[in-house]
Amino acid sequence: MTTSTNSTSSRGDRPPTGLALWWKQTRKTLLPPLCGIGGFLLFWQLSATLGLTKLAGPLSLFTEERTRELLFYPFFDRGGLDKGLFLHAMNSLSRVVLGYSLAAVVGIAAGIAVGLNKGLDRALDPLFQFLRMVAPLAWVPIALVLFQNNQPAAIFVIFVTSIWPILINTAEGVRQIPQDYRNVALVLQMSNRNFFTKILLPSALPYIFTGLRIAIGLAWLAIIAAEIVMPGTPGIGFFIWDAYQNSYVSDIILGVIWIGAIGLILDRLMVWLQNRIAAGQ
Amino acid sequence: MTTLVQVQDIDKSFPLGGDNTYLALTGIDLQIRKGEFISLIGHSGCGKSTLLNMIAGLDLPTAGTVLVDGETVRRPGPDKMVVFQNYSLLPWLTVRENIALAVDEVMPALPRAERNAVVDEHIAMVGLGPATHKRPGELSGGMRQRVAIARALAIKPKLLLLDEPFGALDALTRGNLQEKLMQICNEHELTAVMVTHDVDEAVLLSDRIVMLTNGPGSVIGGILEVDIPRPRQRLSVVHHPSYYSLRSEIIYFLNRQKRVKQWQAKPHKVLARHGLEKVNLDLGFVPLAACAPLAVAEAKGFFSKHGLDAVQLVRETSWRGVTDGLVDGTLDAALMPSGMPAWMTAGGHGGTPLPVVSSLTLSRNGNGITLAKRLADEGVHNVDDYRRYLLSHQREPHRLGIVHPASMHNLLLRYWLASHAIDPDHDVHLQTIPPAQMLADLKDGSIDGFCIGAPWLDRALADGHGFTVAGDLAIWPGHPGKVLGVREDWALAYPNTHIALTKALLEACQYCAEPSHWGEMSELLSDRRYLGMKKEVIWFSETGVDGSSSVPHHLFFGKGVNRPSRSEHLWILTQLARWGEIPFPRNYVEILERICAVGVFSTAARELGLDAVSYQRGAIELFDGRPFDVDHPIDYLNAVPVHRDFSVAEIAIGAPRALAG
Repeated sequence: MTTSTNSTSSRGDRPPTGLALWWKQTRKTLLPPLCGIGGFLLFWQLSATLGLTKLAGPLSLFTEERTRELLFYPFFDRGGLDKGLFLHAMNSLSRVVLGYSLAAVVGIAAGIAVGLNKGLDRALDPLFQFLRMVAPLAWVPIALVLFQNNQPAAIFVIFVTSIWPILINTAEGVRQIPQDYRNVALVLQMSNRNFFTKILLPSALPYIFTGLRIAIGLAWLAIIAAEIVMPGTPGIGFFIWDAYQNSYVSDIILGVIWIGAIGLILDRLMVWLQNRIAAGQ
Repeated sequence: MTTLVQVQDIDKSFPLGGDNTYLALTGIDLQIRKGEFISLIGHSGCGKSTLLNMIAGLDLPTAGTVLVDGETVRRPGPDKMVVFQNYSLLPWLTVRENIALAVDEVMPALPRAERNAVVDEHIAMVGLGPATHKRPGELSGGMRQRVAIARALAIKPKLLLLDEPFGALDALTRGNLQEKLMQICNEHELTAVMVTHDVDEAVLLSDRIVMLTNGPGSVIGGILEVDIPRPRQRLSVVHHPSYYSLRSEIIYFLNRQKRVKQWQAKPHKVLARHGLEKVNLDLGFVPLAACAPLAVAEAKGFFSKHGLDAVQLVRETSWRGVTDGLVDGTLDAALMPSGMPAWMTAGGHGGTPLPVVSSLTLSRNGNGITLAKRLADEGVHNVDDYRRYLLSHQREPHRLGIVHPASMHNLLLRYWLASHAIDPDHDVHLQTIPPAQMLADLKDGSIDGFCIGAPWLDRALADGHGFTVAGDLAIWPGHPGKVLGVREDWALAYPNTHIALTKALLEACQYCAEPSHWGEMSELLSDRRYLGMKKEVIWFSETGVDGSSSVPHHLFFGKGVNRPSRSEHLWILTQLARWGEIPFPRNYVEILERICAVGVFSTAARELGLDAVSYQRGAIELFDGRPFDVDHPIDYLNAVPVHRDFSVAEIAIGAPRALAG
């Protein structure tokens, strides 16, 4: 006898409800990543316990008292640099938001200009390609010389790291506007302003968002680099560097987890934004 | 009717990099009247979209001008709205927003409520009400194209330009949209230009069809008027008698373009061998029983025997293909109706007169006048019955099919009709139709009958759809049927080849005349390379298929059969002039002298040891007994019972010149 997937013949089977239904739906999507992460943590912990590596295991987050406190109380503020991890992270984030916003505004504007103007494109493209390859850390001394001050220098490093993907993707998006759309604008004799708002921007939007998404990751990477090199300012990068100076290995692990989590959230945020704004394309 | 679009002597070339340019279009001249629907058709790369873009203003001509409503087109505008092949909808906007974008842009002065009304009206017009708020990504191809059409119509353009609008759609959707477009165009009296590669679509939708030749340097190869009345229905237009002739005209044109392209793609070196100037010959023919000598010469090796070891037989579907092949030089020589050399030499094909010579008459007889079985059912058994039938059914159109104006079928049919007091141009309508189409037309009653060669006529009899009202033996027994024709300049450039070709075919004719070979010939001709028909319908004896009779119907060989005859060509000239195909040439003596390559024939016959065949035939006299005095052709023309107002004119064919190497 064969089982039929036909809905009329399987009327006898009750569809699962409640928890059973949730489990059925999430089993396939949730189980493999959980197994993967669990396996990794287990391997890590075992190799630490057996003394295979000098690095502390993940359990040290709970076993070390100092780290456990940091883990469970992220919001404390004892003034100066002695803050909870959430506050460190917020400090870092505020710098990222500032630098990144600047990069987005300048990058999109410059990208459109370059995408529309072939001459400008030819003049500047080699420069962009060159500057794009400079690592965030390399910008730090230049930024310090330029601004003589940690705070603006850190923002500049973020700006200069994250602008390139935005700029290059925007320019590409403008170049890639299909001839069909341009023809529509031509035939309708659209004004430049209307062409810009009704055709150019919506058409390039998916490219712009791709650039923005890549850039947010880079910006977040850059802040850590900037803060590690520019100590004395509260931030998650400084926190890690400080823990290292004091050989608090489990604190470093906790800091890294915060960095990863925030990076992930930022990326998801961009995806969500993209889906909201540039839907239907 | 006023002219809306004037395309004046346009050239368009594209830079290829470096100093090279690609000439896409040249010398394009086209007037489009208000309310007309024009189709541009041609193979890919012929520049039809480029032409459309230049009318739209999306592209500018390199030379010449396009005027729309008297103004030079310099840039695109909403008065010349384009419906693009890939719809060009903005994917981030809904159906409504897409249309509204155009309306808002073009009619900013209109109050918002009115603009909304325009948008809604056009959404409803193309039947997209339920999809108003969907994005293009959620729609099928057909629906997207409907949005594009609605968007184009909503801004009320003077001119609608469509670039292969239905190319990417499935057949059913395409059909529905074609009807919709036709209906909208009729209701709003739109002027439209459409690029298409679909022959049926062009015939269905258009008032005129513009056919473009292949690039580089495409020109307008022809413009067809579609005389099918509107409103048209997809399913009923196919029954209009013009439908298939238009369709076959376009298909002929497209195939011809393809043939020329293929021919150009091959290297064409003149191969001289065995003391002959050229041994690689392309020989044109049309599938008929009378092509037997060519098939036999190929199959039995007569070509090779006379040194022509690279002869290729090129099958054409119509005599027009033969004419065009000789005009553009893609054919070296061809089997042709006996009237064609005179017709082409006198410029009957519409171009400049092209002297064509004939050194050999390949066949005689082989025609018959067939009427539809339904006429027999109404009591029509002979020509007098038919005349009475025409008088009593004057309101209906009476069409008779012929295959070519210069073919003996046409001339005999006209002669026969005129002798029986039926004017072949007024009482009936003679229409050029491809042979295969005639059978279908006879069957469905859109033609009364036809005059056509074997085996087509035998097939109509065998199928029971027609009956022979007059056989050619009863009209002019032994009339010339098909001849070998070559261009005069070709004959002068390759004299020895010409003789060798004549020898090979004369020998083949001799072979064909032997009754014991007829069975083998039927078998041979039934091959797909030649006729591609059942061998049972291909026969050569007078009595038909049983083969028991050795009385030939076709004459392929014998005394006076093969030698080109000046008096016969003169008779043909009088008949072509009689029906207004050509003016009667004042210099007819010179023309006949040039057409009839008697010297080539005599040399060939003598070298084959066949001196006896070059015997002269007797005087020409058809069934009505009217004598043809070869010394007074114009008196004869004046004396025949029905004739058009013919003119007598000098036809300048220049001095004989050989083809440049």
